[in-house]
Amino acid sequence: MIAGNANNAHRNESVALALLKSASAFFIVSIVVLLGYLTFEGTKLFTVDHKSIFEFLFSPTFSPDTGQVGAAPFILGSLFVTGFAIAVGGPFGLAVGVFFSELAPPRVAAAMKPAIEVLVGIPSVVYGWLGLTLLVPLIRNMTGSTGFGLLSAGIVLSLMILPTVISLAEDAMRVVPNSLREGSLALGATRWETISRVLVPAARSGLAVAVILGIARAIGEALAIQMVLGNSPTIPHGLLNAASALTSEIVMDMGGAIQGSVTQHALFSMALLLLLIAMSLIVLVKFVVRRAT
Amino acid sequence: MIGANGRGGPREKMKVEDMNVFYGSFQAIKDANLNVAEHRVTALIGPSGCGKSTFIRALNRMHDLTPGARVEGRVMLDGENIYAPSVDPVTVRHRIGMVFQRANPFPKSIFENVVYGPKIHGLRSHKALVEVAEKSLRAAALWDEVKDRLNRSALDLSGGQQQRLCIARVLAVEPEVILMDEPASALDPIATSKIEDLIGELKRRYTVVIVTHSMQQAARISDSTVFFLLGELIEVGTTSEIFTRPKDKRTEDYITGRYG
Amino acid sequence: MIQARRRFTDAFASGALWGAACFVVLMLAALVGYLIYLGGSAISWHFLTGMSSEMNAGGGVGPQIYNSFYILILTLVFTVPVSLAAGIYLQEYAATGWFRSAVQFSAESLATVPSIVMGLFGLLVFVQTLRWGFSALAGALTLTVLNLPALTRVTQEALASVPGTLREASMAVGGTKWQTVLRIVLPSSIGPLTTGIVLISGRIFGETAALIYTAGTSVAHGRAAYDLSPLRPAETLAVHLWYTHSEALIPDVTRIGNGSALVLLMMVLIFNVVARVVGRALTMHITRKA
Repeated sequence: MIAGNANNAHRNESVALALLKSASAFFIVSIVVLLGYLTFEGTKLFTVDHKSIFEFLFSPTFSPDTGQVGAAPFILGSLFVTGFAIAVGGPFGLAVGVFFSELAPPRVAAAMKPAIEVLVGIPSVVYGWLGLTLLVPLIRNMTGSTGFGLLSAGIVLSLMILPTVISLAEDAMRVVPNSLREGSLALGATRWETISRVLVPAARSGLAVAVILGIARAIGEALAIQMVLGNSPTIPHGLLNAASALTSEIVMDMGGAIQGSVTQHALFSMALLLLLIAMSLIVLVKFVVRRAT
Repeated sequence: MIGANGRGGPREKMKVEDMNVFYGSFQAIKDANLNVAEHRVTALIGPSGCGKSTFIRALNRMHDLTPGARVEGRVMLDGENIYAPSVDPVTVRHRIGMVFQRANPFPKSIFENVVYGPKIHGLRSHKALVEVAEKSLRAAALWDEVKDRLNRSALDLSGGQQQRLCIARVLAVEPEVILMDEPASALDPIATSKIEDLIGELKRRYTVVIVTHSMQQAARISDSTVFFLLGELIEVGTTSEIFTRPKDKRTEDYITGRYG
Repeated sequence: MIQARRRFTDAFASGALWGAACFVVLMLAALVGYLIYLGGSAISWHFLTGMSSEMNAGGGVGPQIYNSFYILILTLVFTVPVSLAAGIYLQEYAATGWFRSAVQFSAESLATVPSIVMGLFGLLVFVQTLRWGFSALAGALTLTVLNLPALTRVTQEALASVPGTLREASMAVGGTKWQTVLRIVLPSSIGPLTTGIVLISGRIFGETAALIYTAGTSVAHGRAAYDLSPLRPAETLAVHLWYTHSEALIPDVTRIGNGSALVLLMMVLIFNVVARVVGRALTMHITRKA
């Protein structure tokens, strides 16, 4: 009989599928609960404490004990160090990614890539520690400032986003069909002309994704920059000024914040803001990818 | 036609009725009808891309695994439609086994490969599994070559041995019909002739349907031959009829080498 | 003339790309060398196994190393089964449909949540709402949510590396989908799967931001520091490195920090090497290919 078979294998099959589906559903539950909780806690500053969103976003004074909850210094700090990291680490990462895809002889790539992978694995506190013991004294000696500040944080972050940008840029270059390479070289173009005029334009959406995810990596980094920023809750006036970022401020103040206090609400608002930025970067990636296809 | 010559002739094992196969909007098989006789070897021939592989994969519902593939019509196995909604494709494949173009042994030992099917169908006793393994490997004419190294990886075998192992693996679940999709196309002539001899043995106990790109092979091993062209089943007959007195002009052209 | 300039540009640009790559690798080498130089003298048997100290010099990081492994294992206990299941579902079962898209989008979104934000989430849910307090379990569950997306991706990629012909072969002897996945596909993907799990273990081992406000920044004293209970505060080595620098009162912060940083780096290197060597050995053992 081939019909109406209801043996063990069948029961196992449906039990298995149910288990697999519930494990997958856990993802949906997690993100929904995460968004829900943070939205709930992160808007209490406005609903319970009656602060204005405008003040939170644009006021330069953060002193929750006296009722001032301006997060502008942290927002600017985050934007600045992220911008610095992308300006320095972005081109560098793209160049190394292109190198691995187009120029590196297989042996060289095989020798160098493990190094890049180690770079990914180094914990962010170790980057912070390196910044603290190596970079901060170096900048202090060279400039006479304290060494803590935007410059140190920017340099540390530039290094930290490198592996992300490198590997995504390499992937983006590798999916460019070989026929384009051959076509260009066959016309007498040099390798660099082929790369700069044919391959990079062809891979531009993938390269854009590499940079966007580099931004996402930078904006969410907390400890490494907290350790070298100097943590001053004021709007910085120069590269060498101590500053704070959204993430570093959460790290600094969360420990002492009393549950239900204005301070804690303000910190949750910052976390919510970070989450919204991260998610809009994902939407941006989707948009870039969709426009490319 | 075989299966139609009355008493004493072979029983009809499978019957294909008005089969159409689509990949998306592309129709790969058009209105195919075929009777498959029990304990006979039926060969499917035709130029590449003619649909013979598509056709054979429809005979045990392998297309269920291909996204976008759709099979219409009926395929009867002992009078039951294997595409009926109440039918479980897994049971169908238990009764209708398949050997593929390239040997695809699991990355496990020779023994574990052969007993994989019996195990998943619930056979537990080690003694029984050992018996099944020996029986199947003997039936696949591989026993003498591997009996001393059953626990070695199947991937250490030669290509021809791997393919016979895959046949043994199918035999171990005691199917009634064995489908073979160009089983010797990736093998050297010696390995090929071993497989061909094996097929001759297998038909005593099983019904065999084989796709082949080699007309010589079809002529050597099959009892009846089916000719496909551009997704259409052009002609069915005994193998001697097809190769000596084809009724259709297109079959004749192919036999005489005009399609390459 | 034009030809010469084109050739020069080409050589110059190639040189720049080579230079960028070499710079990155050399910088890594320099950083590793620097950490070894700094931390080498700090590391001793006493440092690796000794009790940490809040006030006095001469403390070790024994309990912190223990906690790092404790939380790593606890995290894997939760993460591996869920990611395997989700990866199998996405790769082997779900072709299309709203549920699959929703799972996929959720996974991508979770993957971008900054770890400090995840840490706050853990604080809210596990530490405060569920009233577990700062605990190894709260830390491990936070890390579970943080690492699920990456491990699910690893699973999907490992499964995708298994040739479809093996699935067909199993189906062709009457195997069900689940039997095929469990007995053929999953064992065949054990190499890349192991590599991925070990690499992610390295990341879990070094995670800090998500643990500060979930697993806490303290350890018990004496033998209680090596307690097996998941509901005790469990400062890990990475958290310790951060905490000593920012809050602690001990006079030999730098020594402790240098030693901890080197131990963390060494662990990352070990996880990387193990991931590669074991993964490759398993793949070779299974596929008989180099």
